[in-house]
Amino acid sequence: MAEKRRSGGTAVLPEVKPTQSESDRLLLSQLGVGELLRGAILKMVEARSDDPIGFLADHFCNLASVSESAGTPGVSDGDQVNGVPSACAQEQQHLNRALWHLRLAHHSQRSAFSNNLLLAYDLLSHPTSGCPGAGGGVRGGLYTQTLQCLCSEGGVPASTSAPLLRRLHCQAHEAVPYDLFRQGVLTCAVFSDYIRQAQRLYAQVGCPAEGPASRALCLAVLGTLQEALETSQGPGANRYLEASAKISSHKVAQVMARGGRAPGPGGNMDAKEFENAAAELFIARVRVVS
Amino acid sequence: LTINMNRFNPVLPVDEYLVETNVLFYLNDALTQLLEHKEEYTQFGVIRYFAEYFSSVKNSNHVLFREYNYIKATPHNRASFIKVFWRCFRQIGRSGDVLSMQEYSSVLQLLCPDFPVELVQSAARIVLMDDAVDYLMSFADFLYAFQLLFYYHEFLASVLTIYQDLLFGKSPNTVIVPTSIAVEQLPLLATEENTSQELQEGVEASTLAECINGLCDRFKQSYPSRTCMLDVLEQSPKVTYYGFLMGLAKHDAINTEIGALPNRSDVLVDPEMDQELLKLISQISASPGSNSSGSVPGGLRESQKKASPRRSLHHRRRMEVESDGSTEETDSSES
Repeated sequence: MAEKRRSGGTAVLPEVKPTQSESDRLLLSQLGVGELLRGAILKMVEARSDDPIGFLADHFCNLASVSESAGTPGVSDGDQVNGVPSACAQEQQHLNRALWHLRLAHHSQRSAFSNNLLLAYDLLSHPTSGCPGAGGGVRGGLYTQTLQCLCSEGGVPASTSAPLLRRLHCQAHEAVPYDLFRQGVLTCAVFSDYIRQAQRLYAQVGCPAEGPASRALCLAVLGTLQEALETSQGPGANRYLEASAKISSHKVAQVMARGGRAPGPGGNMDAKEFENAAAELFIARVRVVS
Repeated sequence: LTINMNRFNPVLPVDEYLVETNVLFYLNDALTQLLEHKEEYTQFGVIRYFAEYFSSVKNSNHVLFREYNYIKATPHNRASFIKVFWRCFRQIGRSGDVLSMQEYSSVLQLLCPDFPVELVQSAARIVLMDDAVDYLMSFADFLYAFQLLFYYHEFLASVLTIYQDLLFGKSPNTVIVPTSIAVEQLPLLATEENTSQELQEGVEASTLAECINGLCDRFKQSYPSRTCMLDVLEQSPKVTYYGFLMGLAKHDAINTEIGALPNRSDVLVDPEMDQELLKLISQISASPGSNSSGSVPGGLRESQKKASPRRSLHHRRRMEVESDGSTEETDSSES
């Protein structure tokens, strides 16, 4: 469609004729274009995406697929539930939209992420009834499914995330309150980042091209990682500084030099084993809310 | 161990973010297009329209058949146009055809009806080193020269002004206003009586380097990386304008920076088209009407000959077969 675009004039931003401008404005407001674009720009500015064009493309594609599947062309950022196809399909659609909201901003962008988290929670809270406020929270089954999707989208293999998900697991019939939902989502988002970093760390320890890295070196690095994670319970900022000092590249290099010389366990450690060991360190520190 | 480097960067103010990313430009154009073609675009819903618009901007198809002012409006548009040009016409290069400046100009105008011929002329001057512009050029030579000139148009026009000032002994420290008018001065250089030794040798490379460095300091639009330009200027004590541009056009780092084209060695690789051609060839070999007389030695036989861009598909297919080293389906009769 866009490819077929042909423009008669050569001006990029032609001044719309005054007589026409009124009818154009009317048309745009009838189509709801202003509202649509305002929503898109707000989302984009909030996320400060590095690739705003890609962001807008995804944003509008997502909106289009939502509004087309809901059978209601036009602006729709709320729930438009006309002609319900089936409860299951609708639940899936809500899940997709919730995940899309969660994907928009990295969790380090706290205010944007929190907004999106709230939107996602609202979407998932009343997936089938269509009337707001019907349920007392997100159902456990949907919550678990959301966390699963977040981990797999974050590039974490299912086998690595399984122990974490078991820990965060809720019964399918339970209603998950917002705080718990927030904690769960945040844990999975941080876990995905953490696992990606662990994978990169392994690549640094060994040379992926030359086969698996030495077990002694891996254990030394994992030990440092554990030490950093187990930093004392001081006030926030101090803990971060202490932890990052413990895992500084200087420190890691020192430990690796020592680990390489010391007589230790022989043999190698493959990437999966390293990833699992690193994941275990993280998961051990996830507290279970009962 | 940083989880996301982005969060350590200071957050850009909203207006700077919008300007720097050219988002408002695209939103503006999307609205203008919507109003110009409202009957066509509103029937599928405006959301779908915006989705299609931004998807096409993302995958670089948005510049197809648009006016020149649009395709040169943003760096992304320029890179997209270069990419589209390459994708659409690399078959010219694969069949070993060489085209004249006029022919390249026509080919570009198939994609952008008002594409200025002056820019094609300048690109030809880079390839042919300011010699007669009616010689024939290979696709790869033209493509990389064209890319450089089109992408860094304003900057290179300013460099030309500096170069001419240096050449004629004027002080190059005059304020340079980058305008597209400068491109119309390009032919001047060639038409003037520039037979003297001085003009053929060019200017002191080190002086030009100094001036270019100063230009970069005050230049607002994009320019090639300074190290690359210095690289080229350090190669000989004297340099001509088109010699300098030729060096830049051949510089891999500049090509990578623009990010529209593969390295020169891969410029003719096109696996999708290869598959299509193989399919076609197998269909033809299967049909009883095909004749298989003697093979034609040397796939590049045609390269010396002045070629037409409208050479028949059948002929191109034949060239393909030859370059595969297969002799099964070759046809010695000219089509």
